[in-house]
Amino acid sequence: MYTLGFLINPIAGMGGKVGLKGTDNVLDEAVKRGALPLANLRASETLERIKTVIDKYHSDFPVKWLTCSGEMGEDCLKKYGFSCEVVHHCKKVTTADDTKRACKAFLKRNVDLIVFCGGDGTARDIYDVVGDKTPILGVPSGVKMHSGVFCVNPEAASEVIFAFTEKTLSIGEAEIMDLDEEKYRKGEWSIKLHGIAKTLSEGNYIQSAKAIIRGPSEEEIKDEIADHIKEEMEKDTLYILGSGGTLKTIGEKLEIDKTLLGIDAVFNGKLIAKDVNEKELLSLLSKYRKAKLILSPIGAQGFILGRGNLQLSSDVIKRIGIENIIIVATPSKLHNTPFLRVDTGDPSLDKEFAEKKYLTVLIGYHITALRKIAVPV
Amino acid sequence: MKEKTEFLEREYKNMLERGETWTIRDLNGPSQPHVVVEGKKCIMLASNNYLNLANDPRLREAAKKAIDKYGAGAGSDWSIAGNMDIHRELNEKIAEFKRTEAGVTYQTGYAVNSGLIPQLAGRGDILISDELNHGSIIDGVRLTKADRAIYAHSDMGELETVLKDAEKKNYRRTIILTDGVFSMDGDIAKMDEIQKLADEYGAMTYVDDAHGEGVLGEGHGIATEFNLEKKIDFQVGTFSKAFGSFGGMLAGSEMLIKYAYNTSRTWLLSAAFPPHVAAASIAALDIVEKEPERVKKLWDNTKYFKKEIESLGFDTGNSQTPIIPSMVGDSKKAQELAKRLYDEGIFCLAIVYPMVGRGKARIRNQMNAGMSREDLDVILRAYEKCGKELDII
Repeated sequence: MYTLGFLINPIAGMGGKVGLKGTDNVLDEAVKRGALPLANLRASETLERIKTVIDKYHSDFPVKWLTCSGEMGEDCLKKYGFSCEVVHHCKKVTTADDTKRACKAFLKRNVDLIVFCGGDGTARDIYDVVGDKTPILGVPSGVKMHSGVFCVNPEAASEVIFAFTEKTLSIGEAEIMDLDEEKYRKGEWSIKLHGIAKTLSEGNYIQSAKAIIRGPSEEEIKDEIADHIKEEMEKDTLYILGSGGTLKTIGEKLEIDKTLLGIDAVFNGKLIAKDVNEKELLSLLSKYRKAKLILSPIGAQGFILGRGNLQLSSDVIKRIGIENIIIVATPSKLHNTPFLRVDTGDPSLDKEFAEKKYLTVLIGYHITALRKIAVPV
Repeated sequence: MKEKTEFLEREYKNMLERGETWTIRDLNGPSQPHVVVEGKKCIMLASNNYLNLANDPRLREAAKKAIDKYGAGAGSDWSIAGNMDIHRELNEKIAEFKRTEAGVTYQTGYAVNSGLIPQLAGRGDILISDELNHGSIIDGVRLTKADRAIYAHSDMGELETVLKDAEKKNYRRTIILTDGVFSMDGDIAKMDEIQKLADEYGAMTYVDDAHGEGVLGEGHGIATEFNLEKKIDFQVGTFSKAFGSFGGMLAGSEMLIKYAYNTSRTWLLSAAFPPHVAAASIAALDIVEKEPERVKKLWDNTKYFKKEIESLGFDTGNSQTPIIPSMVGDSKKAQELAKRLYDEGIFCLAIVYPMVGRGKARIRNQMNAGMSREDLDVILRAYEKCGKELDII
């Protein structure tokens, strides 16, 4: 039996169609402009599909639902005949505080997975409470979904939930992205990497003639990638390490205290700067002649530059040189990253990336694969 | 606390829960289109016995005679004292059949890939591999110290990009490795384009044709299909599939074969397979050469089944060979379909998420030259019935 926490952020997605790009601080305005609740619709689609599959194929569904009262989950679960236990009673008008309290209640009950319907803001609120303790799965219902915890649509979410109850999925990592909506409404991108959450991943499978067998684990592969980087590191070269789980493993292999979310610099095996900003990067780059940058794709859209790491400005990238960028990703992560997205804010630099068409990605010890580059048009 | 064998039970239970253990089904008799699986009569849609040779009376007879003449076992490794003249005869037959200078058997196809690839490349070399290559190629590649680059399945643009990048790094050797026929989707490697790119960039080509032999090139395989018998550097194959017997094979130049068996640890460190296996394989190659109608029948069945199952409303993906997937989409549906088809007497295999992508669950159907039109109609009727019941078609 699995215990799943289920919550709907009933106002998620309401800012989108009325041109508000999110509902942080402007919900009243969104309602005034005629916004309709999207999250409940997405939740219904997901639950309806689960219900249909159970009825049709008499599938086992060993799940106990924990949820919030009313429109934050209970109503929807009951509508599709799922019994559930309400562990958080919401206020009449729900807020982010309800999401957080619900998650605290979920944690207390040791849920195996939290399924939520919302956007980046909801993911951020959940992450702030659960951290990397419990896997999170998002049914996409917001305006912005840059975080890596989202399924592509409610149908996919239902299939992933079934696969989870059959234990055929592994636990992987996903970035939680945080966008400053006030700035965004003024036309300014300001996405930060907020944290690394746990989510469900397909794992690394190997095809064989008869079926497919499970390959090495995510941790083993990250370790292999780190071995490769460590062995191939050149002397007297500045290494700038981006953020994320794979980079963290590389840091461990180098025996340095790498930050998880920040950008750090290594020279001849020593950590020389931590969590640097653009100015510090430029000053490092003027000091050291040769530099390489190691990055991993971030978030649901697979950004390597332009989201979550604005310190790596176009000036910084030009100094380093595109040919000195090393991309790392585990095969399962790359599997869900059809494009490596670049948005440096400098059209000529973006064009330079676009002309390369592909970037090479290190996916194991001396193993590479290619990914197409996508730039803003 | 140091762990002892208790981990076996713990890990096994985990695998069991994840559905990753194999349920081994017993066939009560030979592998052929009509089989008995644990007492239940079924039509077999999941075997690699494409030409229906596994239970051919001539293979059986050849094997029996060989047992009478040579005994049940070879007694040693091929390298020491286990190479009988019938093994040599088979090696010569491989070269003739594959139209190459020389050939040699290995204990299995897996033993070729895992034993030979590590002897072909090392540090300073690059192995370039299709992302959907068989696990035995992946294992062979993992055993080398060479750089390895993976290209998207049959994506010649990516392959060329990799080759271009590799050129800059001045590798000593570059080898492109591919399956001939891909075992999940039943599509064929673009061997003409791969060979052209290889020639252009000074690379060698390595093809595992396990599912193409007996099927492509009038049964001779992918090299004959594309008229590349003298061009492909390393041709790997098997007697265990269309040829109805057992064992792996390698074909190519005389130098390759001499180098291969003198260096492959798998070849050197396992015993020779029994002489009657060689006898059955020789008989199989004779039949394929003398009875072209057998391969033709396989293709007739393939075309008929593909056309009919598509007209029922099933998508067959990129299939170009007797491996014909019927796409279902949803994993639960695919499992249920396989179960219901089994109740109808059809033995088939469902392949589901996360083994394949979300929404790409399917049943893999494998054709057989020994199936009659009536057999195929029985299968199609069962598909129609179960497919409608499950709202797939």
